[in-house]
Amino acid sequence: MTQRILTMPLPQKSHTVTGFALMAAILTFLAATTVHAELLIRVTEGADSAIPVSIVPFAESGAIPPGDKVSSIVRDDLVMTGEFRSLAPEKMLSLPSRRDEVFFRDWRMLGQRYVLVGGLTEKAGQVQARYELFDVNTEKRILGETASAPVANLRSLAHHISDKVYEAITGVPGAFSTKLAYITLDKHNGKSRYRLQVSDVDGKRAQIRLESPEPLLSPAWSPDGKKLAYVSFETGKPAIYIHEMASGKRTKIADFPGLNSAPAWSHDGQSMLMTLSKDGNAEIYQMDLQSRQLKRLTNHWAIDTEASWDSAGKGLFFTSDRSGGPQIYYKENVNAEPRRITFGSRYNARPRPDSNGKFVYYVHQRDRAFGIARTNLKTGEETVLTRTESDESPSVSPNGRMLIYATKQGDSSVLTVISADGGDAYSLPASEGDVREPAWGPLTR
Amino acid sequence: MVLHLAIIGIAVTGWSWTNPKHDPPPRSISARLITPQPKPSPIVEPDDQPDRDELRKAEEQARKLAEQKAREDAERKTKALEQKREQAEKQKREEQAKIKEAARIKAEAEAKAKQRKDAEAEKQKQAEAKRKAEEEKRRIEEQKKQEEQKRQEEAERQKQKEAAERKRQEAERKLREQHLKATADQAAQAEKAEAQKQAQAAAARARDAQMMTESEKYQALIRERLKQAWYIPSSATEEMEARLQITLLPTGELAGVKLISGSGNAAFDNSALSAACFLNRYPIPGDRDTFERYFRQFTIEFNPRRLR
Repeated sequence: MTQRILTMPLPQKSHTVTGFALMAAILTFLAATTVHAELLIRVTEGADSAIPVSIVPFAESGAIPPGDKVSSIVRDDLVMTGEFRSLAPEKMLSLPSRRDEVFFRDWRMLGQRYVLVGGLTEKAGQVQARYELFDVNTEKRILGETASAPVANLRSLAHHISDKVYEAITGVPGAFSTKLAYITLDKHNGKSRYRLQVSDVDGKRAQIRLESPEPLLSPAWSPDGKKLAYVSFETGKPAIYIHEMASGKRTKIADFPGLNSAPAWSHDGQSMLMTLSKDGNAEIYQMDLQSRQLKRLTNHWAIDTEASWDSAGKGLFFTSDRSGGPQIYYKENVNAEPRRITFGSRYNARPRPDSNGKFVYYVHQRDRAFGIARTNLKTGEETVLTRTESDESPSVSPNGRMLIYATKQGDSSVLTVISADGGDAYSLPASEGDVREPAWGPLTR
Repeated sequence: MVLHLAIIGIAVTGWSWTNPKHDPPPRSISARLITPQPKPSPIVEPDDQPDRDELRKAEEQARKLAEQKAREDAERKTKALEQKREQAEKQKREEQAKIKEAARIKAEAEAKAKQRKDAEAEKQKQAEAKRKAEEEKRRIEEQKKQEEQKRQEEAERQKQKEAAERKRQEAERKLREQHLKATADQAAQAEKAEAQKQAQAAAARARDAQMMTESEKYQALIRERLKQAWYIPSSATEEMEARLQITLLPTGELAGVKLISGSGNAAFDNSALSAACFLNRYPIPGDRDTFERYFRQFTIEFNPRRLR
């Protein structure tokens, strides 16, 4: 899967501003002679817009393969988060690739906050990237590194740079080197064709892992990112499988009478939550993957389904229609009484908690439209994030900053990424047919 | 010393008192010598006889004469004896009287000696007592004298002390008076200055109010500009706070920015610095005094509220 990328910090160039500092010192001294209490201005709000960032095309030397440029992949990655907007290279006044070529005044005039410059050097099938990120206002370098990857793996190198840039600016690790799994449906020779696919977060480098004429549903990543669990109707009825990514080996782990659905891994990868109706009604069970032993976690005449562990791995969120319609419930631990989380509308389903324990995301129906909403677990406050017509299957990025979901675009279904706080949506490049059931893979180091 | 003298005195007196007991007067011996005194023997006389008578009468006469002679001899003899005895008796009595007298004289002398001795002892004792009394008196007097001297010295000292104290108090009082006067002068001056100041303050207040209003206006402007310029990083929490010290040129241009206290999150601190530096020209009041007072140097605190 992801090629390991080597990173090295670049030496920080000494940049003296002696005259400036001296002047500031004198002024400070002068100001110190006044006696009154110093004025304090409190700033408690920030700009409600995306951060302007310029990713300058990297200088290239050696045999850099054609195709998408590293800089444009980085640009798309950052923009996808909804937290950044980037300046198109044609609008740049210059294309610096190193510090001494950066004229901060120009970037300032262009309203830019950060500038990323760098260069790629190919040598014996390896590409080394050198990149530096500058704060246009403070004129300081806030990131400077080199990283290298095989020529065939330029995208991984680009996503790695995106991760670093994102972390330098936001303080949160980037999640651009992670993977997505999803299900596509198209018509092939007049027959339905379901495919389980795995791609980069930008939808590129998609690989088909499984193809079936029968429905495929609910892909779920193992915590180490090496396996996928999903529901397949290939036997004519739903059953849960575990699919090893490297070998392609598949194991059917749940094929009980009735429903076998909604698999969700435990954080240690040793057990799996699933919905089974073998006892007459859809209930949530925990299966030990080693022994295949089941433990029933819910017992209610209503439907209980779509369970997933909370960030701590102690409690679980699930959907239940015990109140009449589907709502999100939370069990603090496997034995606790379920507590209802959602009250904002008559339909809330498919909960997906983030990894920080701050929010739970779910499908939310309002005015006959299905959107994605989230509830702050501390305050209970609900925020509706999308207001398109039929959004479904939310999945949170492992750094908690992005959200992917399936939505309708014309006649087909596409995947869309938004900032976890809402805002502009970024649609992944559409492939043929419908794309559904996205599952965001874990951070792998 | 007094005790020694007393002991010696007592020893001497005691000795002189016990000494006379050694020879008592020999009164009983002389008494035995006086008794019994022998009585003179009785004399038998012959009856008258007739004739024969004349012989007989001569005889008788002869015999009578012999008899008479014998009688007279005997009488003489007895008389002599008597005389002798009386003589001896007398002598003896005289001797006894003599002895007695001697004894008496001796006793008397002894008594007298004793008396003298006693008197002397008494006298000595009295002298001793007197000496002692005098000594005691002298001592007491000496003591009294010393005490008196001491008392006088004490009194003198007290007097001096009091004098010093009076002097000190006087000095103090003078100082206080000087001080009071100075204070009063000062107060008067201060009052005068205050009045002047009040007048100035009234003017200044009006000016201050104007400056304050002006300052608040520009604070709000700066705050708004900073809000537009601050991109709160997604790792920010409402607990994070970064303080920057801003120094401006009179043109409003940023002369210096310094992170006084950081949030512990580099991305957060950088975002604050970036926002502060974004405003390369701060909105500042045209009035130079207002600028100098409020905007020459000030602090900006970045602390997000109501994060999504």
